[in-house]
Amino acid sequence: MMFEAIVIIILAVILLAAAVYAVMQKDLLYAVIATGVISLILSVFFFIMQAPDVALTEAAIGIALTTIVFIITIRNTSRREDEVPMDHEPDRNENDN
Amino acid sequence: MKKLLVLLLLAVVGYSLITAMMGVKFGENRLGDPQDEKTVSAYYLNNTTQKLSVSNVITAIVVNYRGLDTLGEVSVLFLASLGLGSILYRKHKEGEEEVAILKPSSQLLQAGSKLIFPAILMLGAYVFIHGHLTPGGGFQGGAIIATGFLLMMMAYQDYRVSHSVLVWVESLAGITFAGIGMWGLLLGNTFLENFLPIGTLNNLFSGGIIPIIYIAVGFKVAAELTGVLDTLLNIKDKH
Amino acid sequence: MYIGYGLVLLGSIFLFLGSLGIYRMPDVYNRLQAGTKATTLGAMSLILGVGFIEPEWLIKTLFIVIFIAIANPLSSHALARAAYRANLTPFMKKKMDAYKSEFHQEKKED
Repeated sequence: MMFEAIVIIILAVILLAAAVYAVMQKDLLYAVIATGVISLILSVFFFIMQAPDVALTEAAIGIALTTIVFIITIRNTSRREDEVPMDHEPDRNENDN
Repeated sequence: MKKLLVLLLLAVVGYSLITAMMGVKFGENRLGDPQDEKTVSAYYLNNTTQKLSVSNVITAIVVNYRGLDTLGEVSVLFLASLGLGSILYRKHKEGEEEVAILKPSSQLLQAGSKLIFPAILMLGAYVFIHGHLTPGGGFQGGAIIATGFLLMMMAYQDYRVSHSVLVWVESLAGITFAGIGMWGLLLGNTFLENFLPIGTLNNLFSGGIIPIIYIAVGFKVAAELTGVLDTLLNIKDKH
Repeated sequence: MYIGYGLVLLGSIFLFLGSLGIYRMPDVYNRLQAGTKATTLGAMSLILGVGFIEPEWLIKTLFIVIFIAIANPLSSHALARAAYRANLTPFMKKKMDAYKSEFHQEKKED
């Protein structure tokens, strides 16, 4: 019982930190990864609180699908928050030539 | 002045929210004691296994007692994917090409994805077929299947899911859901009334209409989410 | 039964070593090295151990083990490839780069 409480407190602290990071971060890719972390910890929380149905939903939609949809959208628009989105901007973060 | 106005508005909204929420006792059991026979939670917990022979009480609540809400949820998802498609869809003009959003992946990844893809589909189907026995259901299974298709789309750049097939699957699943509801209206008294034999507890064929509805919901959600991903990954642009 | 407990112990030791490696290693490639091999073996033996403790679950856990054996190396391969594409330099000064020639061939084919 004690051990479970400690695990829940640690996870909650990480959850809050990830949420604050996702709001403050100007680089949207990092912010999206932080929201993925939030979904992961929420899914663990749902499982601990005996709601495995909701945990499955959160795991499939929150971690995988939402993150991927956001990443695709970032690739199509702009990566940084203060950048002006342009129509035909050349590839930005590619140093792979 | 503007800021002051905003602050005033916020104060009004906050005050009304606080006064509205004052009566709600947070963290307390508002539905009453589950042992108390009069409460709705006691009714669900006591009667689901006998009257519907469904071992997963949550599924019974979501599909049977609150089946109309599930129909509403499914239509919300349908509207969302419809809106996305209508925003992103554009006719193929002259001089426009499909821009590859994803980079080509390695051979190892392609072979591995081919190996895992059927397993993911099977897991999704398992989750929504066994929705009334184990945790999970139509939404979860559909989302898992959509992630399987996403894996294939990311591994193979030119992997396309035929949109006409998706449309057919989606419409048929929706028609099945609504049709079962109407059938209950014809035979019994209410929309989504259970008209099938409920079977024995913990069997695959039990729970009346619940497995059929969840299979329909699973197909519908899978088709919708796959369509959303396919639309997002195939944005046409001038090259 | 006791085989299961032994496997769980072995798995948790390997998982601990893997996380230690992720914490201690200097750069992405070394961390992937620690994070893949150790955690693959650790997770596989842990889940198999659970299957031995509860024999009813053995078939399901075997499926999970096979899935991990396929998926875990694939994901870290993709991660390493993405790191190479993003030009992350290794910790030590690199003397040879066997992947480079193949990589440029791939670029030409695009």
